[in-house]
Amino acid sequence: MIAPCRMTEPHAVRRIAVFGGVYSNAHALAAMLADARGRDVDAIFCLGDLGGFGPHPDRVFPLLRDAGVRVIQGNYDRAIALGHDDCGCGYTDPRDNHFARVSYAYTLGRTASEHRRWMAALPGHRRLTLGGGTALLCHGSPRAISEFLWESTTPDDFVARLLDEAQADVILCTHSGIKWHRRLADGRRLVNVGVIGRPENDGTPRVWYTVLTAEPGRELDVEFVPVGYDHEALAREMEREGLPPEFADTVRTGWWTSCLEVLPARERARGRF
Amino acid sequence: MRPAAPAAAVPFRHLTALWVQITGTWCNLQCAHCINASGPREPWLAPLDAEAVRRAVLEAAALGVKEIYFTGGEPFLHPEVMPLLAFALERAPTTILTNGTLVGEAMADRLAALAGRARYSLELRVSLDHPERERNDAVRGPGAFDRALAAIRRLDARGLLPILTATETDRSTEPLYDRLRALLLATGVRKPRVKILPLYPAGRMDGRGGGRVTAEMVEQVGAERLQCSEARAVAAGGVYACPILAGLPEARLGATLAETLTANRLTHPACLVCWETGSSCRNA
Repeated sequence: MIAPCRMTEPHAVRRIAVFGGVYSNAHALAAMLADARGRDVDAIFCLGDLGGFGPHPDRVFPLLRDAGVRVIQGNYDRAIALGHDDCGCGYTDPRDNHFARVSYAYTLGRTASEHRRWMAALPGHRRLTLGGGTALLCHGSPRAISEFLWESTTPDDFVARLLDEAQADVILCTHSGIKWHRRLADGRRLVNVGVIGRPENDGTPRVWYTVLTAEPGRELDVEFVPVGYDHEALAREMEREGLPPEFADTVRTGWWTSCLEVLPARERARGRF
Repeated sequence: MRPAAPAAAVPFRHLTALWVQITGTWCNLQCAHCINASGPREPWLAPLDAEAVRRAVLEAAALGVKEIYFTGGEPFLHPEVMPLLAFALERAPTTILTNGTLVGEAMADRLAALAGRARYSLELRVSLDHPERERNDAVRGPGAFDRALAAIRRLDARGLLPILTATETDRSTEPLYDRLRALLLATGVRKPRVKILPLYPAGRMDGRGGGRVTAEMVEQVGAERLQCSEARAVAAGGVYACPILAGLPEARLGATLAETLTANRLTHPACLVCWETGSSCRNA
C-alpha cells in the first residue's frame, strides 16, 4: 500500500520539469537546470538519489537549493541520511556489490552532516495538481522506494493497480536509470523520468530529464529532454577522486559497466555489457 | 515431528509474482536436491491443464500482477507450453524455469521469435548447479551439465540472455557466483547473468533442516523480506503460499488467487531459509 503522502503542492501547475538520479553529477545538474530555465516551467522536481557514483557529493546541494528544486527522498538519500550499511539496491552479484560498496563508502564519508540532516527530512512522495489531473511523484514506485520499474517488465494491469492505489492520473518515478512512458487505454499514465547523473546505457554520454505540460483541453504532453554536459570534466574528477575506472568509462561511453544484474533481458540486450 | 510452537504469520502485501506449476513435479531429470522431488516417474503433483493455466494468468492479471513464472518439474514437457507462454506474455513479463534439456535449435528459434514479438520481457532461467561437470552431474544426473550449457549457448546466440540459476549445494567452496560467471564467459556468453538460490529443506532434502520462524523473528527482519508477502503459486489442487511449497497441503491457502491474498503462516522448515537468507525465487 502507498505510504501517506507527506507533501501536497499548494498550487496547480501547468508545466513542470522532473528529473531523478543526480548521482553526484553536478555538471549534468547545472546543465539540466539551465536548460529547464529556458522552458518556462512553473516548478522543478527531483525524484531523489542525489549521491552515489559521481565525485564530490556536497556540490549538488547548493545547485538544488539555489534553483528552488523540490526534492523527494530516494533510497540512496535515505541510506546516506540514516547511515545505513549500503544503498539498499539489493545486488547479489559480487562485482556489483563491490562497486556499490566503493561508491557508497565514498559518498557517505564526504556528505556533510547538514546535507544528511536535510535528506533525512525529505518527503517520500509528493502529490500535485497538474492541469486537471493528479500527479503522484515518487522514487522507485508508489509502494516501495527501491522498486525498479522497467518498461519491459511493467505490465499495463500492474500500472493500473498502482494508479488506483495512488488515486492518481499520472505517476512519476525514477530509480531504474532508463526513461520510458506508458499511456493506458483510459488515458492514465506512468512516466519514468530517467536520471541525469548517468547515461542510460545507449552508447551516448547524454542524460535525460522530462518536461510535462498540461494545456487546458489537451492531453498531457510528456517530453523527454536530452542534456549534453562536460562529461569529460566529470570523468576526470572521478579519476582524480580514485573512483573505479569503470564508472568513468560509463560517463564517457554511455554504456553501463555496473548495476547490470537488475536489468531485465530486453533492456540488458540493448547495452554493450 | 515438527515443533508445535506457534508459527508466525506473514501479512500479504500485494501480488507481485504469480508462480504457475505447469508440469507439477513431472521432470525428465531427477536432481538430488530438488525442492519438490520432481522426476520422470509418477509425479506426486500433477501437471496443470492449459485451461487452468490460462485461468490463473487471467485472474492474476486482473489483480495487477507484475511478473509471471512458469515452473515445474520441467515446463518444456508441457504439450502446450508455447501457446501458454505466449498467452502469459500478452499480459505480463514471463519467466520460464528450465533444465535446458529440451531447448534444442528449433525450440530456441521459437522462443526467440516469441520474445521478439512479445510486449513484455521473456526471461529464461536455465538450471546448472556447479561450474565443474562432474560435481554438477553428481547432483543433476549424467549429461545435465553439457545439455544445460548447450541450451544457454543457443539462447545466448539468439540474444535471449538466459539466467544461469544455481542452487548453492555447498557453501564451503569459493564464491559460486564468480565461478559460474567465469564459466559463462569461457563459454562465449558476453552478458553473463547468474542467480543463486539457497538449498531448501524440502522435496528430496526434506528433513535436512529444522526450526520454525517465530513472530518476533519476522518482526526483526520485516515481513516484506519474505516472498510469501508478495507471491502465490498455482498448482494442481489449489493456490499455495510460494513456489517452494507448492502442492504441500500445509501451504495450501485456497482454491483461487482472490481467496488467498491473506496472511500466510510459516509452518515449514524451508521458511527458516527464506528468513535467514532473504532470498526470493524472483529473477531480481
